[in-house]
Amino acid sequence: MGEFFNQYFDFDVMGAHFSEVLEGFLRNLLLFAVVVVLALSWGLILALMRQLPGRKLLPIRGLTIAYIDVLRAIPILIIILLISGGIPYLEFLPKEIRIPQWFGQPDPFWFGVLALTLVYGAYMAEVYRAGIEAVEPGQMEAARSLGMSHGQAMRHVVVPQAVTKIPAPMLNEMISLLKDTTLVSVIAYAESVLIGREILAERFNSSAIILAGAMFLVITLPAARLVDYLIRRNQGKVARGAHIEVG
Amino acid sequence: MKKTRLTALFAVLLVGVVAMVAAGCGGDDDTTGGGAETTSAGGGGEALTVGSDIPYPPFEQGKPGEYTGFDIELIEAIGAKIGRTPEFTDTSFETIFRDVAQGKFEAVISAATITEEREEAVAFSDPYYLSEQAILVKEGSDITGLDDLSGKTVGAQQGTTGLELGKEKADAGELRPYPEGPDAVNALKSGTVEAVIIDAPVAQNAVEESGGVEIAEKVPTDETYGIALAKNNTELLDEINQGLEEVIDDGTYTTIYEKWFKLEPPKEIVG
Repeated sequence: MGEFFNQYFDFDVMGAHFSEVLEGFLRNLLLFAVVVVLALSWGLILALMRQLPGRKLLPIRGLTIAYIDVLRAIPILIIILLISGGIPYLEFLPKEIRIPQWFGQPDPFWFGVLALTLVYGAYMAEVYRAGIEAVEPGQMEAARSLGMSHGQAMRHVVVPQAVTKIPAPMLNEMISLLKDTTLVSVIAYAESVLIGREILAERFNSSAIILAGAMFLVITLPAARLVDYLIRRNQGKVARGAHIEVG
Repeated sequence: MKKTRLTALFAVLLVGVVAMVAAGCGGDDDTTGGGAETTSAGGGGEALTVGSDIPYPPFEQGKPGEYTGFDIELIEAIGAKIGRTPEFTDTSFETIFRDVAQGKFEAVISAATITEEREEAVAFSDPYYLSEQAILVKEGSDITGLDDLSGKTVGAQQGTTGLELGKEKADAGELRPYPEGPDAVNALKSGTVEAVIIDAPVAQNAVEESGGVEIAEKVPTDETYGIALAKNNTELLDEINQGLEEVIDDGTYTTIYEKWFKLEPPKEIVG
């Protein structure tokens, strides 16, 4: 038992390597921040493409559904390996795109951004879709009967109501995303888990990895409480029969 | 009816999971554990549990159940001398010394360099291999050696001597630690790193098997590989040293060495 604590909870090791692990964790946060913006946008685009009306747009709907299903069905690790290993070989692309090193970030960062955005866009599209489908169909019908196009009705009536229903599940996706930024360590992005494992190789002690875990907790635990609060608040509103305001 | 079947299915799955966990958590002397990654090399004698980070060609490679390579064949030859049959567990290199010290397996043969740091945690056998590091580059690269790595993006495997060498001797612009050696070679081929510092035989193997890459420079390191054991396991250590000596004396070592490295073994080992 004592050995277990020495191996995983050696506070001397944690203290000695705190700044290195923190630096790694800030890289997790940076990756998260960039991906969350892109994935929220990409997810909304996917969700809207999935809701396009009419027979003519059936191929777009089909392709979108196929994309969402496939990307959700493949382990993210494989997508990361495929993108980082594959894109540099696409020789018709200029080198700045095959091996992106924009804004002083190394290429593993940008491969991680691309992989996580593609996958989390699909996850988030499903959350948007749940929100959109939770809006009463009468809302769309009423908007259309007032002469709005499908796009206008989506933009001014349906989506504004949908987004008020999804903060809790969306926040859950964001918590998962933050944790999944550690997967990019597999392509040598120097985030907290990779640094923790480096320290393990050097000191034969796993405490730095636990320290990285603690840093995640600082963010994810309050976020989980916030999810609960949002769910309760939403249920309270519904119970009181309040109408959600439409902007 | 349908519900009953489903319940039965879950019950079977649950039993399976419990059985696997039980096998995986077995104590030091549990050599019969049926985990999927533990594989017997066949032959007679009591099992010798061996940890190795696979793949690391040509030292260790192959699929579970049919592992092969220089290390694998050497420990099998030593096992034959001491009447033990190696059973291999594929494990991660960065935790391998901790695991052998804790008794998860009895011995480690994993192209492991003998260092003072590691000797604090485990006991090493007599050296069975002399190692050199190689600077691996793309064919036609203008990098000719360690001195040219200044400012370059350089890859290496996490927790290895190559990474240490990169940190200490190469003035690299960025040093990237990959989880496995082949990941670093892959990154070299795709052009995301400009050089890889890795054990010379691994580099040689990459040149032959994958092509498109070449060795710019071999850097001698005065390093030797050893078989690692828990410190208190002195009896087995003596047996393994004895077995290794016999394998070297009767020429088996030279046969295995030439098979895997296509080179004569160094005099420091075979005398």
